[in-house]
Amino acid sequence: MQTKRKTLLEARNLTKTFTTPEGKPFTVLEDIHLELQEGEIVALLGRSGSGKSTLLRCLSGLLRPSAGEVRYRGQPVQGPMPGMAMVFQSFALFPWLTVQQNVELGLEAMGIPAPQRRQKALEAIDLVGLDGFEKAFPKELSGGMRQRVGFARALVTEPEVLFMDEPMSALDVLTAETLRLELLNLWQSGRLPLKGILLVTHNIEEAVLLADRILVLSSNPGRIRAEVAVTLGHPREREDPAFQELVEEIYCILTTRPAPERATLEPLTLGHRLPQAPVGALAGLLERVAEGPDYGKEDLPRLAEEMRLEVDDLFPLLDAAELLGLAVLQAGDIQLTAEGQRFVKAGLEGRKRIFAERLLQQVPLVGHIHRVLNTRPTGRAPEERFLRELEDYMSTEDAEKVLATAIGWGRYAELFEYDYNTGLLSRSEEVASPAAG
Amino acid sequence: MRRVFPSPEVLRPRAPFSRWDLVVIPGVLVLLLLLTLALRGATAPYGPNTPDLTVSLNPAHLPYYGLRTLLRMLAALLLSLAFTLVYATIAAKVPRTERVLIPILDFLQSLPILGFLTATTAIFLGLFRGNLFGLEAASIFAIFTSQVWNMTFSFYASLRTLPRELQEAAAMLRLSPWQRFWKLEVPFGLPNLVWNAMMSVSGGWFFVVASEVISVVGRDQDQYLPGVGAYIALAIQQADAQAMLWAGLTLFLLVLLYDQLLFRPVVAWAEKFKFEQSESSDTAQSWVLTLLQRARFSQRIARLPQPLWEWLWLKSARGHRPGVALEPPPKPRLRTRLADLGFNLLIALGSLALVGGLLGYLLGPGLGFGNGQMLRPNPNLNTQLSPEIAQRFAALGITPGADGSVWLSQLCAASRGGQALSSGLKALLETPGVWAPANLAAACQAPLAPAGKVAWPEVLEVFKLGFFTALRVTFFVLLVTLIWLPIGVYVGLRPRLTQWVQPLAQFGAAFPANLLFPLFVVTIAHFRLNPEIWVSPLMVLGGQWYILFNAIAGSAAIPNDLKEAARLYGLRGWNHWRRLILPAIFPAFVTGGITATGGSWNASIVAEVVQWGDTTLVATGLGAYIARWSTGEFNPHVGLGMLVMGLLVLAYNRLIWRRLYQLAEERYRLD
Repeated sequence: MQTKRKTLLEARNLTKTFTTPEGKPFTVLEDIHLELQEGEIVALLGRSGSGKSTLLRCLSGLLRPSAGEVRYRGQPVQGPMPGMAMVFQSFALFPWLTVQQNVELGLEAMGIPAPQRRQKALEAIDLVGLDGFEKAFPKELSGGMRQRVGFARALVTEPEVLFMDEPMSALDVLTAETLRLELLNLWQSGRLPLKGILLVTHNIEEAVLLADRILVLSSNPGRIRAEVAVTLGHPREREDPAFQELVEEIYCILTTRPAPERATLEPLTLGHRLPQAPVGALAGLLERVAEGPDYGKEDLPRLAEEMRLEVDDLFPLLDAAELLGLAVLQAGDIQLTAEGQRFVKAGLEGRKRIFAERLLQQVPLVGHIHRVLNTRPTGRAPEERFLRELEDYMSTEDAEKVLATAIGWGRYAELFEYDYNTGLLSRSEEVASPAAG
Repeated sequence: MRRVFPSPEVLRPRAPFSRWDLVVIPGVLVLLLLLTLALRGATAPYGPNTPDLTVSLNPAHLPYYGLRTLLRMLAALLLSLAFTLVYATIAAKVPRTERVLIPILDFLQSLPILGFLTATTAIFLGLFRGNLFGLEAASIFAIFTSQVWNMTFSFYASLRTLPRELQEAAAMLRLSPWQRFWKLEVPFGLPNLVWNAMMSVSGGWFFVVASEVISVVGRDQDQYLPGVGAYIALAIQQADAQAMLWAGLTLFLLVLLYDQLLFRPVVAWAEKFKFEQSESSDTAQSWVLTLLQRARFSQRIARLPQPLWEWLWLKSARGHRPGVALEPPPKPRLRTRLADLGFNLLIALGSLALVGGLLGYLLGPGLGFGNGQMLRPNPNLNTQLSPEIAQRFAALGITPGADGSVWLSQLCAASRGGQALSSGLKALLETPGVWAPANLAAACQAPLAPAGKVAWPEVLEVFKLGFFTALRVTFFVLLVTLIWLPIGVYVGLRPRLTQWVQPLAQFGAAFPANLLFPLFVVTIAHFRLNPEIWVSPLMVLGGQWYILFNAIAGSAAIPNDLKEAARLYGLRGWNHWRRLILPAIFPAFVTGGITATGGSWNASIVAEVVQWGDTTLVATGLGAYIARWSTGEFNPHVGLGMLVMGLLVLAYNRLIWRRLYQLAEERYRLD
């Protein structure tokens, strides 16, 4: 199959910027080049914030790129084109329509008369194994069956390109696996006019199971950082060493920072996007690594599998651990630092103290808040004050998230207190400042 | 490809009829017959030469009157629905229009509904010249204005909160705007729309009673449109208690009928449009809906227009054309800026012209000033616009206006500035129903505003009256809250009791409170109570039910685990209320409070002036002011009253309810 294939879909210099309510632009996707050839499945993989869903929406014509262009069969994409279909993470079924009516919807848009519509819809419902449920409403169905309706609705219009936005992430593990296999079977059977599939996922194994090529995106702004070709034949087995090697390789790519981001291991700036990692989950992760067979070192794929964490959940925790100097990431492994070991072994009070030290040393934002509160005679400051400062670096939405993370960490470490009603941050009264001690 | 066989259900032969058709078909035929009957009555000729419209107090006519009233309600509802779909869609979809349409809606919503009746009668009579339908339309329009605004707001809000995923799905499927509207936007907004329509109709019953008696310019008598409201008005005028009881019974049946035949089925049907992922346990049921769904032949008839719909449906389809992205294409910055600027300029000019026109209309060409002086009010001496008094003035050489108004300025001109009163005029000024200043000469010295126009001092006066009404509304809404909140909570915490009481409360809200006004009048007159205070409860008579049933709904929705936790920690008495009940029902209370105060403001026009036979009680307030000037033609005084009430309600909602609402949204939501 290595002959010259036709290009279905391509993006050139695609950049997407959004504008904050204050009118400041911020870039989500930068200079993306990508091609989808006939007969291949391409997976887009990245952490949260890498803009992979935005990229999918730009490619499908739902969103317009700010710069660059998208072409489908050589034609510029201005909106969703005939021949495109999408399967959504949340299924996006119309709850007031029956299964059959949902499936017929795409045909109605194509102007197909009722009798043919009915026939095609029934065929599609049969194809995804839902016959007997034509008259059911989506809310009567389980998640897996709903996503089958989603597939039927997408496939009934006989698309050439199928976009899938984390199609399995709302399903339980077993259902997701079944659906993946059925999808592969359909794809390989050649019963569909489908020519290419573009899949967004944050599940590394899913990408390796399904895709012929995996594009790994970096975050803030999203760029294509690496391309991994998957040449394994189907059916692919998770236990296959080659499979595991690929998974490992992708973990390595995701945990290795590209050169410009490396610099962030130097003292951070105030505007660093703190990963949204709850302290409880972070502590749990570190404990698990410490207790593991390798005593303080763990293989990431194994960790993810064991703790049932997908990329979106796992990487913020890893980032936070590394940011605070509690662990280091290397070649798809996580290893606790001396501080990390100390943290895990300490009791509740000890952990808080260590956490406070690490925060003040490593996270400028927390240090900044702490300093401001300590210099004010009242010991209080409104959260808006810090939000405004953060907005110099990022969008309002991101600023709120980052500040919420910083507040969560600072509260845990008993560095300061926060009153939800008034939005006031205040100096912690009971506990003496650990930085002073 | 696999051959698809038809499902066995399709193959099973089905009789075209089901036994349910035996009920449905005659039912529909009877309804059609009644409709024709009512329509024929509503489109009778009506002109200067036809006799005055009146009703008979004979209860045998009540079924027919009920039918006419019902038809008016239905017409107003359909009109509201059509208006809602168009107006809200334009506001939500056409860029920039939102900035104009929504404030307009907000303001119209705060205007007193009964003011519209006076404002529009002349327009509709002109529109349907020579036909009774002009008057009908005026009445329907008044009911329409009592229903439409919150329906429009609800649909607009739904359009703005369409789930992102469904928008994306619709765009990906390349639905045409027409298809998107009917498959996505309308269904999504439907449950809220139905709920709001039901609330609106509840309020509508109150206004249907008040809007069937219309005064028409050029006619000495008020016109009584055949209907239950007119029947009640006449019964009140003649102090006929028995007729009131009959009217009460009729209204009771009408509200029940409306609920069973129209709203229950629609609510039950709208269940399926709820945007939820799992089935809720208790769903609305309606025997009428079940009946309709099982009547096979009737359904077949109802599907006859389907091919036309289908044709329209496919005609609008995109076919093989590309769809439209969810974002508008980027436009050149300069062009957008210029368009924005032009649009804002247009709004500014429009508002300026509007304010100018309004001031000119209210104050006259001098805008309330003449010869560098502020003009004084020029009152109408014939306060009741009584035709007899107008004739007597005419006999003495003072020509009254078309509606019978006689202005102070006219009197002054006829009596040399009040210095030389003829004996006839002197006697006339002392007749009841004629108002004259204590010191006529002094009043004539002041520079008077043009006849019928408002003077600046009056504006101040009206704001003062508005303040009194605001005080009444606030105090009595608080009072009924204190009464009904504990009761509502008591009921709401007991599911079995809730099942019984909740429909009663909803029925109470729909049952027009004006029917009970005479009881108050008799009591107040009998005990010689101060009307300034004792008339006020009438304003909240209708609104109180919203507080009750929102309190019930709010406390019934308190999650069980919270209740159990409260019990476990031994929360009792005041602590139980402060920590659990009050925070938990706060959002529901705010919703009820908004509706109750809105209703009270509107009710003030009928509640501050109440009548039973010859007894009339008047309280000082904006409602009484509007009611007094609403006799006859729409005039600057009514306009001023409506304007001030609109502004006050707007301010009241902005300053009080909106803040409470935000607080409720942010802090006390239970999901």
